[in-house]
Amino acid sequence: MNYNKKDEDADTALMRIDRTTVFQQARLFNSSPIQPKACRILLTRIVFLLYKGEMFPTREATDLFFGISKLFQNKDASLRQMVHLTIKELASSAEDIIMVTSTIMKDTSGGTDAIFRPNAIRALCRIIDASTVQSIERVMKTAIVDKNPSVSSAALVSSYHLLPIARDVVKRWQSETQEAATSTKSSGGFSLGFSASSNQVTVNNSTMTQYHAIGLLYQMRMHDRMALQKMVQQFGVAGAIKNPAATVLLVRLAAQLAEQDPNLRKPMMTLLDGWLRHKSEMVNFEAAKAICDMRDVSDDEVTQAIHTLQLFLTSPRAVTKFAAIRILHNFASFKPQAVHPCNPDIELLISNTNRSIATFAITTLLKTGNEASVDRLMKTISGFMADITDEFKITIVEAIRTLCLKFPSKQAGMLAFLSGILRDEGGYEFKRSVVESMFDLIKFVPDSKEDALAHLCEFIEDCEFTKLAVRILHLLGIEGPKTSQPTKYIRYIYNRVVLENAIVRAAAVTALAKFGVGQKDPEVKRSVTVLLTRCLDDVDDEVRDRAALNLRLMGEPDELADRFIKNESSFALPYFEHQLALYVSASEKSIFDTPFDLAAIPVVTKEQADAEDRTKKLTTVTPTVKAPKAGPTKSMQSGAEAVASASAAAQKYQQELLKIPEMQAYGSVLKSSPVFDLTESETEYVVSVVKHIFKEHIVLQYEVKNTIPDTVLENVSIIATPSDEEELEEDFIIPAAKLVIDEPGTIYVSFKKVNGEGSFSASTFTNILKFTTKEIDPTTGEPEDTGYDDEYEVESVELTGSDYVIPAFAGNFNHIWEQVGASGDEEVETLQLSGVKTIVDATEQLAKTLSLQPLDGTDVPVNTTTHTLKLFGKTITGGRVVANIRLACSPKGVVTSKIVVRSEEEGVAALVIASVS
Amino acid sequence: MAGIFKKVYDWLLRLFWATEMDVTMIGLQNAGKTSLLRVLAGGEFTLDSIPTVGYNMKRVQKGHVTLKCWDLGGQPRFRTMWERYCRGVNAIVFIVDSADRDALPVAKDELHLLLDKPILEGIPLLVLGNKSDIEAKLSVDEIIEALDLKSISHREVSCYGISAKEETNLDAVLQWLVAKAHK
Repeated sequence: MNYNKKDEDADTALMRIDRTTVFQQARLFNSSPIQPKACRILLTRIVFLLYKGEMFPTREATDLFFGISKLFQNKDASLRQMVHLTIKELASSAEDIIMVTSTIMKDTSGGTDAIFRPNAIRALCRIIDASTVQSIERVMKTAIVDKNPSVSSAALVSSYHLLPIARDVVKRWQSETQEAATSTKSSGGFSLGFSASSNQVTVNNSTMTQYHAIGLLYQMRMHDRMALQKMVQQFGVAGAIKNPAATVLLVRLAAQLAEQDPNLRKPMMTLLDGWLRHKSEMVNFEAAKAICDMRDVSDDEVTQAIHTLQLFLTSPRAVTKFAAIRILHNFASFKPQAVHPCNPDIELLISNTNRSIATFAITTLLKTGNEASVDRLMKTISGFMADITDEFKITIVEAIRTLCLKFPSKQAGMLAFLSGILRDEGGYEFKRSVVESMFDLIKFVPDSKEDALAHLCEFIEDCEFTKLAVRILHLLGIEGPKTSQPTKYIRYIYNRVVLENAIVRAAAVTALAKFGVGQKDPEVKRSVTVLLTRCLDDVDDEVRDRAALNLRLMGEPDELADRFIKNESSFALPYFEHQLALYVSASEKSIFDTPFDLAAIPVVTKEQADAEDRTKKLTTVTPTVKAPKAGPTKSMQSGAEAVASASAAAQKYQQELLKIPEMQAYGSVLKSSPVFDLTESETEYVVSVVKHIFKEHIVLQYEVKNTIPDTVLENVSIIATPSDEEELEEDFIIPAAKLVIDEPGTIYVSFKKVNGEGSFSASTFTNILKFTTKEIDPTTGEPEDTGYDDEYEVESVELTGSDYVIPAFAGNFNHIWEQVGASGDEEVETLQLSGVKTIVDATEQLAKTLSLQPLDGTDVPVNTTTHTLKLFGKTITGGRVVANIRLACSPKGVVTSKIVVRSEEEGVAALVIASVS
Repeated sequence: MAGIFKKVYDWLLRLFWATEMDVTMIGLQNAGKTSLLRVLAGGEFTLDSIPTVGYNMKRVQKGHVTLKCWDLGGQPRFRTMWERYCRGVNAIVFIVDSADRDALPVAKDELHLLLDKPILEGIPLLVLGNKSDIEAKLSVDEIIEALDLKSISHREVSCYGISAKEETNLDAVLQWLVAKAHK
């Protein structure tokens, strides 16, 4: 009781403190003899300020620090704790903090029961610098294996923080860490008697030490797969690890290992399966999640995990249910049929009082249902749409939107549903998500266009949200003229001009104009002119201006008018913004002498933007399989993601490349390939390459990293020899002057296309890394004067047809297929795909290697035995490339494909096919 | 019995006339500061002490006086911080290795640099020539000469030859320090 009261007082006191007063009060530290209680309160205030985000300027912090250093070695154990805590927090802002190292070190090894030992260890590791780590080695080693869990944990966590600072030293503590991980100490028994004394470490039975130890071990062995494997197997044995959190860590590790090395997959899967039956729920979930997240997991492998999750669905605890349904929800995006058995249990959750659970339940059901059951589910949903809140409705609309993109054939039912709920009561956010879903339908499911537009027209008749009305009018303006009966929409749009506020009227005028400009039918054109002329009398300036401009444009020749009204290209906005920001924030005055150059900003066509948009929508609503993992994992990009990243990457590289004077004459980069590794990631020199295609040149950008400690590489160059020396001629090499350990350097090798810009040359480059290596003198830290020349052969780079192709999005595949087939050439190839076991894999792999965009939703195979993949892209010169791939998968897991590629330009089809075979 | 009385007497003294004083111990690296402090505080002499990073603080009890001894690191990187810890102390103890002739010029420079700081004016200085057990040591007079102690004004200066290893002359050091507590 007494304590509570004190705390309340302290609280109100804490509210009033500020930096200056605290700094003034700090004189107290210098008083002699020391007043422990007053000092403790003052220290608390300092720490409180620091936690609140207050920053002490370096001078003040240093003064404070020196004041505090007077308090060391006080008899009051709590004061000591407080001192360590404060020093730890001040360590980053004060100078000369290294002064207290020796003193703190003394506290770390103090009596076994001293309460301040863990604090001292933590503080010690914050103030130490790389050169002095060695001197605390002995202290840390003993602390790690200390029998007191708090001390041991503190030492382990501190080592974790020290690892990046002094890797070599900390790595020597492996055996101690191992010991800490294996020992299951319990100090509860005998220290119970002392726990009343305030100087005692509070009784700590926790096995958390194991968690910390395993975390540290992982950091130490991160690059050594063998050691990691051994570690997982050693600790994976039942009973070896008591702490659930530590086990969770092991689960993640096991999953990561299985991911990286196909050979380890089987043993790791067995371990994961075992953990599904662990007595801690936390571990069960982690294991189930790991299995579900596993790349191309088979149905057999996942059954057990799904079953475990299914059991949790009926758990009485909401959080358990939530965790289970969440994992199932994610997994359902990829293997709906595997989650299907849980459907009865999930259906029960729809009516759960916890909204989060219910939302996930419904969206999961939407995913697991096959095309046939979608209709039934939609009916169920419409039944209770009225009872739920807006945010909940939005989640459902989002799920339906994804569904639309996945099953374009079901669009009629979904459209009916969407238009139904559009008429319901609801706030702006909800209506917006419905309208956006309909926009997507119009964009990506061409068949639904007319119906959807009709529904939207009806909606704006009675729409209270100006923003939405404007957006719909804009869309009507774009899509309306292309439909068979444009006049129908004109009526709707003109109604707006009559009835709405100024903003909507202005939007309606612009939309109207789009019907008039370039209109072939004189009747329509005449009536639009009449309507626009009426708008000239509008009370609002903007409306009148727009009407006048558009009337004038309608009088002009169509070509000119089109440029103004139907120009659908826009600038690459992220890049544009960046450039503008650079321009505005320039420090030199001379930059402002020349106006900002718009022509330098790349233009994105409507199609590109659409493709990017669609990718984003598909990937954000259905999250990608790969959860972010610790450590370097190679992220496999699906074909669709590649599209999105391609343009962004090209712009990023463009900026880098433009800085190199030799390349400025080359013009802009037409395409940059993804990064290819030319070595394993554990080798002495890690090399990766990016291919940049210019109009008449090809530039290979090599990233080289030296991983050998205590050496410096100088004059690093790459000898790249094309197999086809007649077509490609080396232009220049920009070597990297110096490579220090772990700092990547860049080497550029440029080739000229001998046959000019139109040629697409395929070639294989053999690469030899050439360099002078010098050892670093350990005493001075400087490299020695003499080194020796060395060569290192890395894997070769292939320049294939797909390097010249950029994925592109188009609405109607069949149409393009016929068009291109009529004019260009065609190549056919039948082959067995090696290393691919399922149709899903094959689809992804093919889209990626061919660098083409899957169309008509064919990137999501419905059938597991046969599939037709429709791909589209453009070459760097703008010629269209279409591919139609039929895939068949035998029960044994052999995928056969028949690839037909058509291209507008001659020879391209063969080149593109060559990149697969 | 007499021992008990003595203890009680000491305890009473401490209770009513307890004084605490601050003493800073400085000197070049490897002069023997940390070892000396350990011996003063009643510990064993050890040869293999590690270089002090920053400083050590120990309390030495002598009668009713508690000496708070700040043993500062002697390596060049810490020397700039000596001044901060010498402010307002009761006495500065400067320790030199009396067997290391080559280091004396540096020691002299560092010492005078420190004593020239106005903020430290008037603080008594005790110079100790440590390691007097070694054959090739310098005598006290030679040290006074080498460190140019005679030129120091406005403060009390003393110089003793001691050995932390053999524990020679340590009582004199303590007495000198305790005497400063009364001022």
